[in-house]
Amino acid sequence: MAATFFGEVVKTRSRAVTEEDDDDEEDAWTQDNYEDREVRRELEKKREVEVLQTQTNVSLEIPLLEQYPCSKFIIAIGHNAVAFLSSFVMNSGAWEEVGSTKLWNEWCRTAETTTLSPADAFCVFYRLKSEPAVFGSSPKRGLQVTLLTSRHVTDYRTPESSGSLSSPFLKALKTQSFQDAAHCTLLEQPNIVHDLPAAVLSYCQVWKIPAILYLCYTDIMKLDLVTVEAFKPILCSKSFRGLVKNASLSPEALTKLVTTNEIQSNIYT
Amino acid sequence: MAARYDRAITVFSPDGHLFQVEYAQEAVKKGSTAVGIRGTDIVVLGVEKKSVAKLQDERTVRKICALDDHVCMAFAGLTADARIVINRARVECQSHKLTVEDPVTVEYITRFIATLKQRYTQSNGRRPFGISALIVGFDDDGIPRLYQTDPSGTYHAWKANAIGRSAKTVREFLEKNYTEGTIATDSEAIKLAIRALLEVVQSGGKNIELAIIRRNQPLKMFSAKEIESQVVNIEKEKEEAEKKKSKKVV
Repeated sequence: MAATFFGEVVKTRSRAVTEEDDDDEEDAWTQDNYEDREVRRELEKKREVEVLQTQTNVSLEIPLLEQYPCSKFIIAIGHNAVAFLSSFVMNSGAWEEVGSTKLWNEWCRTAETTTLSPADAFCVFYRLKSEPAVFGSSPKRGLQVTLLTSRHVTDYRTPESSGSLSSPFLKALKTQSFQDAAHCTLLEQPNIVHDLPAAVLSYCQVWKIPAILYLCYTDIMKLDLVTVEAFKPILCSKSFRGLVKNASLSPEALTKLVTTNEIQSNIYT
Repeated sequence: MAARYDRAITVFSPDGHLFQVEYAQEAVKKGSTAVGIRGTDIVVLGVEKKSVAKLQDERTVRKICALDDHVCMAFAGLTADARIVINRARVECQSHKLTVEDPVTVEYITRFIATLKQRYTQSNGRRPFGISALIVGFDDDGIPRLYQTDPSGTYHAWKANAIGRSAKTVREFLEKNYTEGTIATDSEAIKLAIRALLEVVQSGGKNIELAIIRRNQPLKMFSAKEIESQVVNIEKEKEEAEKKKSKKVV
């Protein structure tokens, strides 16, 4: 036993070595290691990301895109991007939920993933029922990925003064194999993309999948009508063509989403 | 670079920024829009009403407050900070009246509020007030005034201005539409304020609050019905203007 500078007691390995002692000590250590390994294995299992199929609620053994091959894969990350997809794209045509994922890591406040309700899913996958043909081709060949996300405008680095930026505004970043034109200006250096969109783009770049990210820089991070409408220009792009049928219903659907999600806050008036 | 110079209010960054003051200005942008217009015989304050929770008493969520009989202000930003500033200003108005036997001028009370705000940008252990204010009123000489203050403690006189969320959009609208014609009469000035707010307010008239001060008259708050009728008039005029335009084109 040894005391550290801060008074905590730390178990240290004794340096007094005798031949008989060696074996005993090693056993003790391997036992600890075994327990440690057990705990670590349990944690690893908890952290595994599972994709659950909605109809059967069974975890998918094969990757989702192999089960439901498609040619257009659209990912929305963050409140505003999700609200845009829900109100402008998914309100027309019949979309069915095909799967969801839940994940857990040490930062989550709940203890178990199995007790999480379906509403707590971190990611839900939808498929357009009326046009299965769109999703007919084999995965990775003919697949095009579109990512939508938003970020705070203070992360945007530019030589101009930040007061002159008219947020929200769209920037795009695409992989080398993406041939079509982006519907807004490209993201300039030294700005970088973070987190999940960056991971997806990197994966697509490595596997030569055409992918484009539309990043909306906004000054309001919570769900906000103006930010969601900033995504509108991309409705004319190839990825969304044919998916938006009833544009007149969108403002209603959007207002509904915003009002139901509004958290009442009295700090700012 | 900002990381090391933005914690304490009293520290300048190497390039001369006071980051806490600039961040306070961001807090102002989180409040809903307020617009102020100085007409010839009237001053108008219009605000975007925040949606009130079902169980909340609407009368207690006010963005337009009277500081004295002839001065009133609208703010955008932190509600609690606004309450403190308004209380101090109201006390100062009465104190001035009792000491000097004259009501405050709009410029005096604006300068008082601005000085108060500046003190909090140079004090140890305090943070700036996170509000911008639009102060309107008439002086004894009968001239209408509109002033704007911000968290740094500066104040300026304006003919028309907007603060809060989407203030830039409203200000651009005002720059285009504030002319001698649009402020010629009281009703025109009121219409201009409502039109400016309708540019950014989502659900139209029911989310707008309006207050006016006319020369030698106390503050008047518009009722929801009056605002709604103004909005209806404005929309009619818009339609007629569009019809005329399309006729011309044909």
